[in-house]
Amino acid sequence: MILAIDTSTAACSVALFGANERLMAREQEVIGRGHAERLVPMIEKLLDGRQPDAILVGVGPGSFTGIRVGIAAAQGLAIGWNIPLDGMSSLALIAASAGEEPGARAAVVPGGHGELFVQEFDGPDLTQLGPHRSLAPEAAAEEIGAPLLLGPGAATLIAARGSGEAREGWPDAGCALDLPEDLRKLAPKPLYGRPPDAKPKAAV
Amino acid sequence: MAVILGLESSCDDSAAALVTSDRQILAQAVVGQADQHRPFGGVVPEIAARAHVEILPGLVRQVLRDAAIEIGEVDAIAATAGPGLVGGVMVGLLAGKGLSLATGKPLIAVNHLEGHALSPGLTDASLDFPYLLLLASGGHCQLLEVRGVGDYRRLATTIDDAAGEAFDKAAKQLGLGYPGGPAVEQLAGQGDPEAVPLPRPLVGSGEPHFSFAGLKSAVQRAVQSGKYRPADIAASFQAAVVDCFVDRTRIALRKSDAPSLVVAGGVAANASVREALETLAAEEGRAFSVPPGWLCTDNAAMIGWAGAQRLAAGWVDGLDVPARARWPLDEDAEKVRGAGVKA
Repeated sequence: MILAIDTSTAACSVALFGANERLMAREQEVIGRGHAERLVPMIEKLLDGRQPDAILVGVGPGSFTGIRVGIAAAQGLAIGWNIPLDGMSSLALIAASAGEEPGARAAVVPGGHGELFVQEFDGPDLTQLGPHRSLAPEAAAEEIGAPLLLGPGAATLIAARGSGEAREGWPDAGCALDLPEDLRKLAPKPLYGRPPDAKPKAAV
Repeated sequence: MAVILGLESSCDDSAAALVTSDRQILAQAVVGQADQHRPFGGVVPEIAARAHVEILPGLVRQVLRDAAIEIGEVDAIAATAGPGLVGGVMVGLLAGKGLSLATGKPLIAVNHLEGHALSPGLTDASLDFPYLLLLASGGHCQLLEVRGVGDYRRLATTIDDAAGEAFDKAAKQLGLGYPGGPAVEQLAGQGDPEAVPLPRPLVGSGEPHFSFAGLKSAVQRAVQSGKYRPADIAASFQAAVVDCFVDRTRIALRKSDAPSLVVAGGVAANASVREALETLAAEEGRAFSVPPGWLCTDNAAMIGWAGAQRLAAGWVDGLDVPARARWPLDEDAEKVRGAGVKA
C-alpha cells in the first residue's frame, strides 16, 4: 500500500493506494490554514489501522509552511514504519486533475509577493513542457500559453492574460499515481521555488 | 524505565535525543544554524524553518543508530510545540506526530520553556521541587517558582528585551557578529568591568522584573563615543547584566520559600552569570543548581526529559495538538505593565 500526502495549498489531501495502484481511500479538505493540526488525524482516519509500504509526499512548489508540514509528518511516518519516502511535484498533482483531456495545461498556484508558481504540462501523460517558475501575473501571462489553467491561481492568471479556461483545482493526493515516474521520484525535500525573504545585512 | 525521543526545533538549533525516565541520556545530537543566520545578523525565521526540515529527520535516525535502539523500543515521542518560531516548531512537532502515529506510542507536546525549567533535574538527581528558576535565554528572561511538573508561578519577566537578546545586540554593536553570547563573554574576559559606566535598569525596584533595552542603547553610545576599548565595553556590559540578574533574583528569592535557586537557558552557559548566582544563593541560604552548559543552550535532551516527567504524570497529547508561537508557562501570570510579546 502507498500513502500519498499533499499539503502545499489550502487543501489538505491524503490518499491510500492498494495492489495494482487501486485507490482504496481518499480524504480531502480545503481548510486554508491549520494543516499542522488536521493532517495527521486525517491520515490516522484514512489508514484505519492499515500500514503502508511506501509514502509519497507533495514537495511543492506552494505554501512554504504547508509543504514543510507535509514533509515533516511524512518523514516521521517513514522513520516510524521504516518504509521508503519519495517526493512528488505538487504542481503536477494539480495538472493531473484535468484527467485524460489532451493538450497543454498549466498548474497555477499563488506564491509570495503577488507572484504565481506556474508550470506547463502536456496532456494526460503530464510530460513537463518547462520548469516550474515563480512569475508576476503579467509575466506569467506572457510566458504561459496553455489554454487550460488549473489550480487556485488559475483565475488570477486568466484575468492577467484575458484568454483561456480557468478551473479551480487542488493538488489531489488521489491523483498521485497518475504522475509520471520522474515527478514522483523526487527527493523528499521542499521545492520552494523562491528564496527566503531575507536580505543580508551590510557587513557587521 | 521509559525511553523518550525528544525533538527540538523552536529557534535556530535542530536537535534530537533519546533519554530515559531514570536520567540516562542514551544519545543526543544538536545541529546549530548560526552559519546560515550570521549574514543576516540574527535568526531569520524562514531560513530556520528550511534548515530544520532538512536536518531533523537525519538527527532522529542518528540518535537511534547511536543508541542502538529501534524506533519501536521508544516509549513516547516528546516534541517542542512552542513557544518559538512557529514555522520551525511545526517541523519538529509534525515529525513527532508522524512518529507517534506510526509507532502507536504517545505524543507529548512539550513547552520549550518547561524543557529549560525542568532541565536541571536531568543531571542533578538531588534537586527537589520547589525551586526558584532564573530562565534567561535569547527569547526569554523570567523568574519562575517551579513547584512541580506543570506547576509554575511566574514572579517576574522582562518588560522589553530578553537577556540573550541583549548579548546578541551588544555583540552586534561591538562588531562580534552572531550569536553574541559566547563572543561577548570571551572578549569580556580581556576587559575591565568597571571601565565603562553603564546603567542597571530596574535595579532596586520592588518587583523583580527585568529591562535590558536601556542597557543596549548605553552600549551603543559607548561604542559610538570612541572613548572605550571594545573589551572594556564587553566586560562592563556583562557586569551590568550580572548585576541586574543578582539584584532581581535576590528580590524574587525573598518573595519565595523555595529552598533552591536554579539558573537555566542559554545565558546560564555564561560563567560570570553562574558564579554570581551561586554566590547569591549562598548569601540567601539557598542551595544552587545549574545544568551543564550543553543543557543550558537549546537541546532535545531537556525536551525528552520534560516528556518523561509528563508521561509519568499521565499527560499525553492528541495528534491535533497545535504549534504555538506564544505559550506562557504560567498562563495565569498578570500582564506586566510595559511588557511586550516576549513576556
